[in-house]
Amino acid sequence: MNQFNRATVILGVAASDAHAVANILIAESLREAGFLVVNLGVCTPLPEFAEAYQANPTAVAVVVGSLNGHAYDDLRDLPALRARGLLGCPVVVGGNISVGSTKSDRDRARLEQLGVDHVLDDVAHLVPLLAGLAQPVFA
Amino acid sequence: MTFAGIPIRPGTDPPDLRSCVDYIRSANRPTTADLLAAAQADGRVLIQPRCGVGDHGRMLDLLRDLRDGAAPDILSVTVDAHTRLLRFAEAERALREDPYRLNGYPLVTHGWRRGRELAESVDVPLEVRHGSPDPRDLFVTAIASGITSFEGGGIGYNLPYVKDVPLEVSLGAWAEVDRACGVLAEHGVIVERELFGTLTAVLMPPSLCLAVCVLEAVAAAAQGVRCISVAYPQGGNAVQDVAALASIRTLAARYLPDTVTVYPVLHQFMGAFPGDPALADALILYGGLVAKWGAATKVVVKTNQEAYGIPDAAANIRGIRTTRVALSHLLDGFGVDQAAVREEQEWIEREVADLVDPVLQSGDLTTAIAAAFRSGRLDVPFSASIHAHSAVMPRRDPTGAIRIARPGSLALSTETKARNERLLRDAGPRGDEGFVAAVKADIERFSAAVGH
Repeated sequence: MNQFNRATVILGVAASDAHAVANILIAESLREAGFLVVNLGVCTPLPEFAEAYQANPTAVAVVVGSLNGHAYDDLRDLPALRARGLLGCPVVVGGNISVGSTKSDRDRARLEQLGVDHVLDDVAHLVPLLAGLAQPVFA
Repeated sequence: MTFAGIPIRPGTDPPDLRSCVDYIRSANRPTTADLLAAAQADGRVLIQPRCGVGDHGRMLDLLRDLRDGAAPDILSVTVDAHTRLLRFAEAERALREDPYRLNGYPLVTHGWRRGRELAESVDVPLEVRHGSPDPRDLFVTAIASGITSFEGGGIGYNLPYVKDVPLEVSLGAWAEVDRACGVLAEHGVIVERELFGTLTAVLMPPSLCLAVCVLEAVAAAAQGVRCISVAYPQGGNAVQDVAALASIRTLAARYLPDTVTVYPVLHQFMGAFPGDPALADALILYGGLVAKWGAATKVVVKTNQEAYGIPDAAANIRGIRTTRVALSHLLDGFGVDQAAVREEQEWIEREVADLVDPVLQSGDLTTAIAAAFRSGRLDVPFSASIHAHSAVMPRRDPTGAIRIARPGSLALSTETKARNERLLRDAGPRGDEGFVAAVKADIERFSAAVGH
């Protein structure tokens, strides 16, 4: 346990989304797994994630939760932020990634085209993914 | 230009206070305050659905359909999210382009003349329900519409609803509304103010709900409010829920001046609702029973479409009827263990005292409330706002009652903390899943599928 205790994760919920419960539980589970969590909370515009990254440049990932189906709209500025070098670490998006009850590969592909590195549809995959991303720090 | 001390938003153009008072007093129907007093005297539980759609014509139809289909005692005007956040331009655009996009009735945008059409369309009073940290324009429009029942408060309509409005700001705006209620009372109009103790609606420990309501009620009474409903959300353990409802009367007697009348209100289960309509109906029936056993003056009902979104009128009618079955003599003859209720009630009141007494003893109330949340001495679980720590973590004990598993910096005494710990000891983290998985299972107690 606590093997990632120097690995920082920046966490938050997408700009148009006020779902707090999952966010707080995910923050708690990441801390339980030994990460340092910078939790920006609900309704966080992408530029605030970038600011948090600049304040924590060793962060292993920015994790954006989106439960209201507006993930694509809320992440539109990602290519611009990347182009200006303001968001250098992997970006993980998880939750309910589009409106409607059936998800397609197209929803995932659209987010990947924006520059999202990992799209998760099961929160159980988050800790293993971040653990993998954190490994090089200790290599 | 002001209305009972509240600055008037240009364009809303309400009639002057005197003519609004005359309009309200000449209306040929009871106010919510009248109905609550009569229900309390008769030992009855009033029934109220939530309802609100964007289009005015459809809203009129909805009110009449619910009235004709289920005869609730009070009807709601649930307000859309744009209006709650003062985004009146967005509300107006949505109304023009597609009113069906709105998740409630934009009362300020429709204006007080249409508000009066709503109030006159049915013979029962309306309540405005929203979720606005700054409700001043909405309040003025409600009063000008002849609606004298208004939900919310400076804490309960801030922490669950917005990310970054300082408590001093929301409490300041609500103080203006409460002061206006005082002015209206001087003119013979009693506005009923319902406090949203439900908060973030997920695994809410009763003492936290009630502590917030006590503080909001003390603030409201100081501004001249005369009629207050304290709403408590059904948690799912009947002994605990009945005890919480009973403690509302005791806490009111202890903390509030006798110029104020206080009524306990139950919100039927507000957490993750079952998708299976049979289970949902059962949970609604259970909520009705808890309201009756706890001698609530009013119950606000859910529907068996809760898991899927905003309900249609038919589901709302069914929810009201199911609740009425629970309140009828049909299900008399069983209830909760009164000794267990008394013990639970004592502990709830001790926890509330731990939380509110230091705040009430430290000078200016608004400043003291904001400082208590800043330090975490007051806190709520799962807050959307950055102005609460949300370090407190609830769990269900083996009986399903909601306890404080991690108190964070809450100002609880050693004794009350120890009791929460003791009652949770047997709950434990389940298997090797850890604390978070266990909390998630507690949240989903009623929404998870029932096994055979």
